[in-house]
Amino acid sequence: MNENGFTQFSTITVLLLLAAFYGGTYLLTLLIRKDKEDTSGFMVAGHHVGFGMGAASMTATWIWAASFYAAATSGYTYGVSGPIHYGLWGALMILFIYPFGRRFRKLAPNGHTLGELIHARHGASSQLILAGSNILGSVISLMVNFTAAGALVSVLSPLSFEMGVIVAGVGVLAYTLTSGFRASVFTDFAQLVALMAIAIIIIPAVLFSAGGPSVMVEGLSRLTDEQANIFSMEAILHQGAPFFVAVLAYAIGNQTISQRLFAVREKHIKSTFVTATIGYGAIVIGLGMIGLMALSVGMEPIDGKMNNLIPQMVSTYLSPVFVGLFFILVIGSLSSTADSDLSALSTIMMADVYGKNIARNNPNPKVMMLVGRITMIVATAAGLIFASFSLDILVMLVFVGALWGAIVFPVIVSCYWDRVTNAAFTWSVAIAMALFCIARFELLEMTGLTVLSFEILASVGGAVVVGLMVFGFLGRTAGFLAAIATLIAMLIFATGFLRDYMVLVASLTAYGTSAVVCTVMTLFSKERFDFDLIRQRVGDYDEVDTEDTSNLVPEGAK
Amino acid sequence: MTAELLYGAYILVWPAITLVVLGVICRAVARDVRKARNSDEDLV
Repeated sequence: MNENGFTQFSTITVLLLLAAFYGGTYLLTLLIRKDKEDTSGFMVAGHHVGFGMGAASMTATWIWAASFYAAATSGYTYGVSGPIHYGLWGALMILFIYPFGRRFRKLAPNGHTLGELIHARHGASSQLILAGSNILGSVISLMVNFTAAGALVSVLSPLSFEMGVIVAGVGVLAYTLTSGFRASVFTDFAQLVALMAIAIIIIPAVLFSAGGPSVMVEGLSRLTDEQANIFSMEAILHQGAPFFVAVLAYAIGNQTISQRLFAVREKHIKSTFVTATIGYGAIVIGLGMIGLMALSVGMEPIDGKMNNLIPQMVSTYLSPVFVGLFFILVIGSLSSTADSDLSALSTIMMADVYGKNIARNNPNPKVMMLVGRITMIVATAAGLIFASFSLDILVMLVFVGALWGAIVFPVIVSCYWDRVTNAAFTWSVAIAMALFCIARFELLEMTGLTVLSFEILASVGGAVVVGLMVFGFLGRTAGFLAAIATLIAMLIFATGFLRDYMVLVASLTAYGTSAVVCTVMTLFSKERFDFDLIRQRVGDYDEVDTEDTSNLVPEGAK
Repeated sequence: MTAELLYGAYILVWPAITLVVLGVICRAVARDVRKARNSDEDLV
């Protein structure tokens, strides 16, 4: 133990653990290495990933280092319902995207990114908005995961933060560079098995080492009424609601998800995503329970830092062997997400930037592979530099989250409604972002009619979120009815009330504005789009298509 | 006693579900490996 109460490993022990993890992962990738990788394998594993591998990969990718820390923080802050309000909504991000994923796959069976589909549907400006938001999201994710590695190594060993960041970055790059997405999926399975096995052992171990359920129940007297209430409104409003709003935005805005929608065999999309939903929810909520246990036993986070909760509980109640397992758990979770981000970034640069905008549908597969690998190297370097500087990414996160919220309606509706135009897509996102900024940073005085207007837009945003979720599973009529019911309920109950939660108002405004602008502009359009064209325009880059398809390029792409 | 059981179950149900999902995924991957081997295809 060090002076802070954490178990301390020697430098040699930590280096051996890291070498075993990254060395073992690298050796695994040798099993699938090919002399000549093709672009389809490198980007989406040839579209034929099976159910088991797909579910493991989706689960491992969606669990990043912050998942444990944030779930435990939620348990410690909001009590019994806290871990559920973190883990459940995160899990539903995977669940609610799959009905739309099946549509994406039907429209573009040979697709690699959602951006390609949007390029085929609308042209370059809409595609680049989507691709840009994907790139920002993945770079932020890379940075956060490398930062978590540095923090963990520096807390549990004499090694520096920077050393932890560099080892994680180089380790992930080493095993992902050659085979790309194939390596990411294959290693995700091994990493998830380790991650799940450790979670299955650690959660009961902490419970019983801390005295078992009887001691925990005695400690419940320390909880406030809100913390002891499973239906706590405080937990719903502060933790659940913002996550609920983000469910579709995170799923649409994240190339790591759409890449798997295009990679898994079409008939396995549903089973893969449902299994990943349950797996993610169980692991994250389970580890979040350690935060609730910390609250029950009256533990105070060291230095007031909530991220210390899980390491503190494990160090306090379990032997160093378990702390070693916890170390592998966190390194495994952050590495599986980081390798997926590298694969996502390389695929966007290969398909969306080089394939569709630089090579203009006549790409050279060899150049494409080079673009992918160079992207991985540059992205890792950028992630390492940003992580080493410990940049404040809050503002960046705010913008990316809003951008994802703004594109949800235009992206989804473009795949179903043949009248949506490139201009409707682009302008709806631009205006939504402008109004989001006004609400989020309160650039206008939020009183009277101004704040009421934003509350109405936010109510439309709420209706869009609920309507799209219902539409995905139950179809158009049910979606419309759910949206109208939500809109009426929000106009009655939320106006005059939502203004106290301007962050939430701003997020919902992004959804609502883009939906209103996109719908109005679309209704004025006389254009009719033939969805079969998408299948023709989104193809495999390994086969050179000599047919002249320039007449198929939409107006916005020229 | 009931409160202890409830609390224990509330905590332990999550690793139990995780165990079930782990079993489902491992079985499916084993099936995929067998299929890939039989048809001489790549697993990923």
